[in-house]
Amino acid sequence: MDPMNVDNGGCGGLDAQIEQLMQCRPLAEQEVKALCEKAKEILMEESNVQPVKSPVTICGDIHGQFHDLVELFRIGGKCPDTNYLFMGDYVDRGYYSVETVTLLVALKVRYPHRITILRGNHESRQITQVYGFYDECLRKYGNANVWKTFTDLFDYFPLTALVESEIFCLHGGLSPSIENLDSVRSLDRVQEVPHEGPMCDLLWSDPDDRCGWGISPRGAGYTFGQDISEQFNHTNNLKLVARAHQLVMEGYNWAHEQKVVTIFSAPNYCYRCGNMASILEVDDCNSHTFIQFDPAPRRGEPDVTRRTPDYFL
Amino acid sequence: MSNPGSLPASAHHEHEHTPLCRSCGAPTTSPTPAPWSGTTDSPPPAYRPIRLPAINAPTNTAAIVLSPVPQPLPVPPAAPPHAFLVPAKRITSPDDIARFHASVHGLHFLGFVAALSASVHGRKLSDPLPSPPSPAIAALLDLVSALAALVASTPPLPHSSRYGNPAFRLWHEKLTDSASELISRITATASSPADLAGADVELAPYLLDSFGNATRIDYGTGHETNFAAFLYCLARLGLITEPDYPAVVLRVFTAYLDLMRTLQDTYQLEPAGSHGVWGLDDYHFLPFIFGSAQLIDHKYMKPKSIHNPDILENFSKEYMYLACVAYVKKVKKGPFMEHSPMLDDISGVANWKKVNSGLLKMYKAEVLEKVPIMQHFLFGSLIKWED
Repeated sequence: MDPMNVDNGGCGGLDAQIEQLMQCRPLAEQEVKALCEKAKEILMEESNVQPVKSPVTICGDIHGQFHDLVELFRIGGKCPDTNYLFMGDYVDRGYYSVETVTLLVALKVRYPHRITILRGNHESRQITQVYGFYDECLRKYGNANVWKTFTDLFDYFPLTALVESEIFCLHGGLSPSIENLDSVRSLDRVQEVPHEGPMCDLLWSDPDDRCGWGISPRGAGYTFGQDISEQFNHTNNLKLVARAHQLVMEGYNWAHEQKVVTIFSAPNYCYRCGNMASILEVDDCNSHTFIQFDPAPRRGEPDVTRRTPDYFL
Repeated sequence: MSNPGSLPASAHHEHEHTPLCRSCGAPTTSPTPAPWSGTTDSPPPAYRPIRLPAINAPTNTAAIVLSPVPQPLPVPPAAPPHAFLVPAKRITSPDDIARFHASVHGLHFLGFVAALSASVHGRKLSDPLPSPPSPAIAALLDLVSALAALVASTPPLPHSSRYGNPAFRLWHEKLTDSASELISRITATASSPADLAGADVELAPYLLDSFGNATRIDYGTGHETNFAAFLYCLARLGLITEPDYPAVVLRVFTAYLDLMRTLQDTYQLEPAGSHGVWGLDDYHFLPFIFGSAQLIDHKYMKPKSIHNPDILENFSKEYMYLACVAYVKKVKKGPFMEHSPMLDDISGVANWKKVNSGLLKMYKAEVLEKVPIMQHFLFGSLIKWED
């Protein structure tokens, strides 16, 4: 299929692809390539601090849990009827990273102003080679071309978003190199996630009970205390920092006297954590409502073919 | 803390090296950057990533299928006088990985794991072994028992996270405090104990890193590999010998595995570097190797038997592989083929011999050849880094 077929009869081809993806059936390799080319054109026009209007529903990590993403849409409302902001980590760990990230990218191409997709620390070549997305692409496509296509596209994902100029949204957290939003706007984001520096920090940092900046036990990013987030929010006239990146058992967790919130949207993470997931609805009066949800009920065994891994041939 | 976690984000690396061709010394093509592992969203490795993306990375099927099955090798004895030293991390790049695997100790360490596996072909856990066990085996079992007792005396602390109970740091401090004494009980079993004076200086860091990282409160195949390295060092010193290998696997390693399950459950250790569903297991690799060896030539049980709940229930006590699968099924929810596709695929392999040889290949490729895991591997005088 050539790129033009993606727009067969306007959006007909893309709608068919979305329908296919909603059934958890991956696109063909060439369809993925064409889709990502379209997505790149859209994403390269977005800001490092992408403005978003309310009402919007803010979502955390998904990690390849496709059926739970469908559950999220069932609970939060279908896109484009509901506006969405996803804060990264679509891939790795779960079984369905390919279907998950393809669906979100397809929705981005189809409804570019109704859905915002940010970059998480897992939207990276190096991370995905370890944590599963690379292996999954090899298994589902027989080669790494789709992995390369997506990881090249990830470089274009915006780093942060700003909802109604009040809620600063990003995957990880703050950076000692960034005092104001213009510092974020001026970053050159089109690159592999560096292992240090402001772009790394935005995708890796975590809030902490201790004040000031701390060394992150993750080895990348920093921990930041309430004094840091208060100063950042004050400097930038923000009411809230919304972020993802950390597993929290209730699906959301307030910190720093309700100035920082963690949102995690992968229920029973890694099939073992027993956590709830949640999303944050911001209505057009900018009031907040968390909606919690459990893993999607399963209907029968997944349509999976057993194949012998190469090591055992 | 004796074993610091990964470098802080502010660390700098002043020197970058282009790998040099071994033949003529000219710069070679840069390799594809190696991935890293660690905790959930864990740190990047201590090297600067190579900018080049993988371009149409070829499927590795031919290379993997044709790669040799790791074979058992005898452990080369370390002759006195010993010059024990505190082991240090040496691996930071794929080139270092290649150098390690080309070295004497890279070959022999993998050969040691393969020899341990071969020593339990067709053996149940309850099979009789020499009684009483050799003094070193008895001392190792006492060591694991002592560490298990430390769990009993270090209850978990209240905390709200899913992972990372901070009481693990207290347990690890107690381990650190008692490591030298516990090791000296093993070295005391040597035929010439005086030759092993100071061995604890070199052996303790391996032991301390065998149960998880106390900073991140996580555990993974790298820590398990450190325990195997600890055993390898004991073998180099002649403390354990080939006749001991069945007991090392069926008694010592299973006691270690039981302790690890207790630590994982009690302190909620986070899976370190988990590939999620695409890895073999969130925490362990070696018990699958040893467990598949146990099942080789079993009259009735085949790799697909893992899908039979009665078999898992009745035979997990005898076969490590079945115990591991039963544990996965216990702690994970949802369809098995979704949360454990690798184990599900392996269940379609024709026989346990193929499973065992495949797992040994996979261990070499997915654990011992991965920079994010092996960057924490330790080198001293017993496992020497060859420059």
